Amino acid sequence: MNSATTNSTKPLRRFAVSATTTCAAQAEVYGKCILATYTDVKKDACKEEFAKFGACLRETLKKKW
Amino acid sequence: MYRLARIPVLARGRARSFASHSGSPLSGPNTVGPYQVFDRYAKRLQKDRSATREGGERSRTTDYVRNEVAERMIERLLDVKRKFNSILDLGSGPGHLSNLIESDITRKVVMLDSSEKLLHRDPDEGFFDTSVERERIHADEERLLDVVAPNSQEAIVSCLSLHWINDLPGVLVQIKEALQPDGVFIGAMFGGDTLFELRTSLQLAELEREGGISPHVSPMTDTRDVSNLLSRAGFTLLTVDVDEVHVAYPSMFELMEDLRDMGESNAIVGRRGFIHRDTLAAASAVYKALHGNEDGSVPATFQIIWMIGWKPAPNQPKPLERGSGKTNLKDVL
Repeated sequence: MNSATTNSTKPLRRFAVSATTTCAAQAEVYGKCILATYTDVKKDACKEEFAKFGACLRETLKKKW
Repeated sequence: MYRLARIPVLARGRARSFASHSGSPLSGPNTVGPYQVFDRYAKRLQKDRSATREGGERSRTTDYVRNEVAERMIERLLDVKRKFNSILDLGSGPGHLSNLIESDITRKVVMLDSSEKLLHRDPDEGFFDTSVERERIHADEERLLDVVAPNSQEAIVSCLSLHWINDLPGVLVQIKEALQPDGVFIGAMFGGDTLFELRTSLQLAELEREGGISPHVSPMTDTRDVSNLLSRAGFTLLTVDVDEVHVAYPSMFELMEDLRDMGESNAIVGRRGFIHRDTLAAASAVYKALHGNEDGSVPATFQIIWMIGWKPAPNQPKPLERGSGKTNLKDVL
């Protein structure tokens, strides 16, 4: 139980740090895009902004993504 | 009645035996019967796990919302000028509310919860006024009358547990039945706008990334419905009001981690057991952009619906009959 918990928590923790700290700038750009369109949001409405955000996440997390 | 097992093990895929409570989904997890919104079996597992994670430490650190609400509830309980012989705490958890009850309110507290591990998380010593007798019953909150005799309770309290009840009208009726005449029910449940920030962020992120939405945050009871439900269940002298607790978190991830440790993870029937990383990252960005505080933290709202109702009794104060007033309001105003 305990080892399973830590194993499942740590990658998520790393992911959380990347999403909120390391890639904060790209996340903000994406967030602003959603903020501007949230009354009429469609699939891929902020595709380009997310592509940059995702690229940053992939870059920082490498294989652990 | 059907007392073979107090809590049936609702293993998925198991055929329903006919001499049983019909509450469980008839077949697969995506089939929804009447009043089946929440997967009670999953909820019990989540609560059990939350109570045992790191020996209960994680669960204890995330008690803050429940402790806050329990303190507010004690004030309401103290407004009832009566010394009870026994109080039933429905959905007590480890006893957030029960631990605060002192011997000038009651002689005995009975804690009832469907999660055995959570119920026994804390020992009595150091957590509890030991001059109050305590009993723990491990039973399903949805089947209260199986373990509690009708007309037996002086007071029933429920602090932040009713939001996982499938058949809320039915449970309120059971509570009323379990009370003695002139017995009081005081309840607090999450409802209304609870976690609307998380709900909207996940919905927007899922919509924009994946093109559709799935349930992540429970459907909530509305304040308006609660007074209707209480009067439908047969309570009188109703009081219903709303209160909020706001908590700030560093980011959405800490909020979700704390919710998990509170045993409040998603348990909607037919939920997806999976969330794509893209969606999760997107939701975190949306949460911050849409709801974020100026200092960089993100808020979470917990809206609490308070309800007080009394079981009718002949000696209770009642409104006078229409037209029996003797003072003309014209003279007063």
